[in-house]
Parts: sequence; C-alpha cells; structure tokens
Amino acid sequence: MGKKFMFTPYLFLTPALLVIGVFVLYPIVAVIYYSFTDYSIVTPPIWTGLKNYQQLIHDTVFWQALAHSFIYLLVTPVLIFLCIILAIIVNRKLPGINAFRALYYIPVISGSIAVGISWKLMLDTNGLLNGLLLSLGWIKEPIQWLAEPAYTLPIAMLLTTWMGLGYYMMIFLAGLQNISEDLYDAAVIDGCNAWQKHWHVSVPGLRPQITFVAVISSLAALEVFNEIYILTGGLGGILNSGVTMVFYLWQQAFKYHHAGMASAIAMVLLIITLAFSIANIRLLESGTETES
Amino acid sequence: MRTKIFAMLALLGILLTACGPAAVATPQVVTQQVIQTQIVEVTPTPGPNPEAVIPNVEPNATITFWTYYLSPTFDDYIKSTIARFNQAYPGVTVKWEDHQATFQQDLNNAFAAGNAPDVINLSVGEGWVSDYATQGLLLPLDDKVPQSVKDMYFPGLWKEQLVKGVNYQFPWYQSIPVELINTQIYTGTPQTDASGNVTYTGGAGLKVEDFPKTIDGLPALCQTIKDKTGTLCDIRLSVNDLLSQMVYEGNVKVISDDGKQFTFNSPDAVKWLQMYVDMVKAGTVDKTALLTDQDRVALDLFESGKAAFFQTAPNLIRDVRANNPGLYGYLAVAPLPLGKSGVIAKGSMGISVNAKTKYPNASIALAQFFTNPKSMLEFAKIVSIYPSTPASYDDPFFSAKPVAIEDSAKPLAKGIVATYADIVPTIPHKTDVNTIVLNAIQQALFNGVDPQTALNDAVTKANALLP
Repeated sequence: MGKKFMFTPYLFLTPALLVIGVFVLYPIVAVIYYSFTDYSIVTPPIWTGLKNYQQLIHDTVFWQALAHSFIYLLVTPVLIFLCIILAIIVNRKLPGINAFRALYYIPVISGSIAVGISWKLMLDTNGLLNGLLLSLGWIKEPIQWLAEPAYTLPIAMLLTTWMGLGYYMMIFLAGLQNISEDLYDAAVIDGCNAWQKHWHVSVPGLRPQITFVAVISSLAALEVFNEIYILTGGLGGILNSGVTMVFYLWQQAFKYHHAGMASAIAMVLLIITLAFSIANIRLLESGTETES
Repeated sequence: MRTKIFAMLALLGILLTACGPAAVATPQVVTQQVIQTQIVEVTPTPGPNPEAVIPNVEPNATITFWTYYLSPTFDDYIKSTIARFNQAYPGVTVKWEDHQATFQQDLNNAFAAGNAPDVINLSVGEGWVSDYATQGLLLPLDDKVPQSVKDMYFPGLWKEQLVKGVNYQFPWYQSIPVELINTQIYTGTPQTDASGNVTYTGGAGLKVEDFPKTIDGLPALCQTIKDKTGTLCDIRLSVNDLLSQMVYEGNVKVISDDGKQFTFNSPDAVKWLQMYVDMVKAGTVDKTALLTDQDRVALDLFESGKAAFFQTAPNLIRDVRANNPGLYGYLAVAPLPLGKSGVIAKGSMGISVNAKTKYPNASIALAQFFTNPKSMLEFAKIVSIYPSTPASYDDPFFSAKPVAIEDSAKPLAKGIVATYADIVPTIPHKTDVNTIVLNAIQQALFNGVDPQTALNDAVTKANALLP
C-alpha cells in the first residue's frame, strides 16, 4: 500500500514558494536569458548568444570593477576585528552604557544615502576635514578628496566600515553575553591576563557570530553601491576609481541602457556570491561538526 | 543529517540575502516618485476656441501627460492650463503625473511595460528627444501638424533636435544661460569711507562687466580668482553629452559629413581639451564639480557661497534665493561667454508624443496647447522661463524694465532665443561614444595622457562602433 499524498504541507508552503518564485526564481531566470541578448529595456531583447560575455572579457572597466569588489572585501576582517573590540568594550555594566551602545547604532539606522551625503559634505573641498587639516597646518591647500582616484575606494570602504560598526557590534555583544562567566573565571584561575582571557575565551565563544558576520558583511561588500553612488556623484569616481561590480551593473543597465550586458555582469556576480556562500557554509558546517 | 539540512537552509538563506536587500549597502536608486495624478474635466464652452488648432481630436480620449520636476511648485499653472485645454478640446480627459529624480528610469520602465504616457515632457538639452526618437518610441510630427501651427515657433527651435531630418517635439520652455556671480568672492565686500569712496575687500577685485566674453578667457579668470581668494572655479563639463560641449565651445567637427568616421581628434578638439587640462594642472577648478554626473553638485557648490561664478539659467536663481537668502543679495549676472561656434545653446525642454498612443491627435493637441503662445506667456509670468513662440514676446510683460535679478535677461530674451539651434549632428551610438569620450577626457585631465593621444584613442574606439 502506497503512502497517502499529503496536501497540507504543500498548502502551507505555497505562499512562500509563490513569493520566492515571483521575486527570486523568475528574476534569476529572466536575468540568465537577458544576459544572452542585446536589450535596452525600452525595446524587446534580441538574442546575441555569448556576445555580452565576450565583451565583458575584453572590457577593462569590468576587470577594474571586479578588482575593486574584491578589494572591498577587506572591509570584512576590519569590521570583525573592530566590532569584537567594541563589543568587549561595551559589554560592561557601567552607568549609561546603553546610551553608549545606542550611539554606535545611529549610523545603521541613519540610512546609507543620508550618511553618504554627510560624509560628502565633510570631505568636500571646503568641508570639515580640510578645514581641520588647514587649521592644524598639516596641509597648505585643500585636498579634493573625492576627486582623487587614489582616495575614492578607501573613503567608500571607510564609510561602509563606519556604518556597519554598530550593527555587527550588536551581534557580537549578544554573543558575548551568552558566554558563561565561569569560563572567564576558569581562565583567570589558569593565569590568563585580560588580553589572553578574551583571546582564549571570547573569540572561540564568538565563532558562530564571526562566521555569520563574515558571510553577511562579505556579501554586502560585494554588493556595495549606495556609498559609491553618493560619494562620486553618480560617476563612479574619476578614472573609474570607485566602480564596483554592482555599480558597473547599474551604469550599464540604467545609464547606458545595456540591460543585456548588465545581466551578464549580474550572472558573474551571482556565481561569485554563490561561491562565497558555499565556501562559508562549508566553513560553518565543518565548525558545527567539530563541535558536535 | 540535521547538520546537512541546516546547511541547506543556510545556503538558501544566503542566496536570498545575496539576491535581496543586504544589511549594510543596497542599491536603492530606482524609486518612483509620482507626485501628482490629476484628472480635470471641465464643461465645454460653446463656439470655436482660438486655441483649438489641431484637427480631428479623438472624442472621449483619455491621455496621460508626464512632466519633469514641475510639481508642486507649478501645480496651479499645470492644472489651470489643463482646464483651458478641456475648454478648447471638450471631452478629452488628461491624467497628469510629475516625475522627478527617477524620471528617465520611470519612463524606460513604462515603455518596457507598454504603458508609457501619451504626452511626455523631454529635455532637449540632455538629448532625450533624440535618444527616444532614435529607438522609434516617439511620434514624428512634421506631417501631422499643420504648417500654420509649426509657424508659431521659432524655426530654430522647431528643428532643434531632428532625427534623420524629422522633428519629434514641440519646443516648450527655454532658458537663457547666464553666469551667476557671487560678488563677495568675484569683486569683494564693499566698504565706504568717510568721503564716500567705495573700496572692495576680501574678494578678487574683479568687475562684473569685465567677465570674459569668450570661453578662452576662463583659464586666466580662474587663475586670478584662485590667486586672490583661494577659491576654485565651479565649472562643469557636460559629462552626459561631451560631444555637444565640444561642438558649442570648441566648434569641433565631431563626425564626417558621410557619418562614416568620427573626427573629434582634430586640432580644434585638442585645443578645446587642452584648455581644461591646463586648468586642472593649474589647480584652479573644483575637480568634483568638473566631472560630476549631477548638475546639482555644481549648483550646490555655488549656492553654499563657495564659488565665484556658476553657469546656470535664471529660473534656478530662485533656488539660490530659497536655499541661501544671504547670498541672493550679493548676486550679479553676466552674459554667458561664447564658445568658438558662436551659438549660445540649443533649446531646453520639449514635449513629445508616444509613437504608440491610442489618441495621436488628442496627444498632439495637448503637447501643442502647453507650448502655445498663451500658455507659455502665463508660464513665463510665474517663473523665469522663456517661450519658444515669438508671439509670446509681444506682451508688455517682456518689454517691462526688469526688477529682480532673475528677470535681467527678459528684454533681450526674444533675440537670444531666436538664435538657438542644435548644431550637433546626429551621433550614432551616442551613449557609448560619450562614454568613450568621457574616459579619454579623464585620461587627459587626471592621468597625464596627452590630449591628442587620448582623443586619437577615443576616435579609434568610437569608429569601431560604426558599421
């Protein structure tokens, strides 16, 4: 006697599957198709085979954007390091510590566009930073920070790091508060100083959070757009100095109306993020199995 | 097993995260801003209406009209004009929407979805009319508009953005670009001594009436301003239409007469680019403003009182008054320095009709109605724009002595607008060629590449796009 088919589970799954189908699967399939076409958004796509991918291979800006996206990944270890330090600092029972924690969270809730504009004003030729450096006598004339190719990417990375500090710090803070005090007491009995205590207890105890933050922040770094758009006034920086994969994708799709080429870039990005995700999952899986 | 299920779920979650909004930075540029949707129906007045000049308007037509950056400031004007339109063409219903920062993205999406508006306000200055007309999305007007109606417009404006010799727009409001001067920097702050003599302190000590008459004078002017005030010049290259700027400023022939090869590496083009290279090398221009994609960046720099002069249209002076009233009192206006072409500019705004509209005559009627002499005159009375129809200037409003600085070009406007013409030939693959030219200009300006070499490389790449 065969198993009776159960409709109920599928009934419950249907809403989620519909949402995923319409908003995830269909766009992915559509992007795969468009990546093989010449498509300007306003006129119907024309099948061109591998032409977009061949053009990408010979496109120096694409390789520049790819390199910038990988450089942008440096934000992840910096964020993890700084956020753990900050979480340890704010993980104390001091008067007013909640207000201090909230201060770190303000950039997260401010929105990247608003923060980007603030930073732009600060880094302006006549902005706060130049004013400060001039008054200290460290520079003789203002530096045009946002017009210097060498500074574009580092400034954007600094902005992303600053914005992410509060968010990721909260994750590490929650992790720290789950670590038993007994472990710290045991470490002290074993002769650990303050630094060794955190190295041998806090950091291993934060391993799940570190993995999670590594995955999320690296994907966010690969998808960076708002910071670049605002800081470079939509140009991508002089000599494409701030162009990342997603920014280049946007330029191709919405500025140059090459939606087919943009789709090909999206496919490359999808493969990279997929590879990152799988690598991170393997890492997570190996960690879990070791613990179990 | 549990670990594997967990890993699979985590992978799915991460994929969704990768495809969906991320925690820190996500693209959020494509946001639609439909400011207003207006349906106006008015009881028709009996008898022929002199403003009803388009024949065979479809009865009971419902048409959509998109404008660019006009709401909420001009809501009353747009609504009252639509009400007058309904009196002239009873039975036609107009749905009006104003789109702003995302106008082009909204329009592209609407064309892709097959629900683009019937009547569209497009920028001639930015080349939008030719962009959409080239793709077959706009209705050609020459054979659908009576000659008597075409004759209402300045001839140069009717032909200001032809595609293969065909016109696709009714010329709408025009602007007269001027140099807006911050006299605090350009001249200095006036000090009157006991005997009534006026001296200027803190500025470059320059006189507004001596502002360069031609573009060649800008490098020396910027050098003087930097030397005396430490301020950089707020000059912007038209990064979205660089070939146009080459033509107007440098009188550069950008493409051969037969359209088979680009020629923007000529001595004229090199000389034009060299001027900007020299200014960048001398450190006299604000590089952020020079190559920004957004004209607001350069305008904001001037509005914040940090630039000596800025090229703009008088209608944007209201922005200065609104955002920095303290600066408004120190403003002066100088005529725009002419480029080597001798032509001041092409037109500003036009109104076009969707090629696939169900109601072509009603749509043409609306586009023509908004651009007719009466509608334009009414518009000019509420903001410093200039009509594209000579008849509008017969009103005493234009001959009255200007009071506000925004109106300083008013008495001369008719003569200036009459000279407007699009002297830029049709550029094949315009967006791609512009990108190539932008890269070449950046190489010359910021990477030490010789202008001739940069433009030669650009011409080679651009020629490769031609059949």
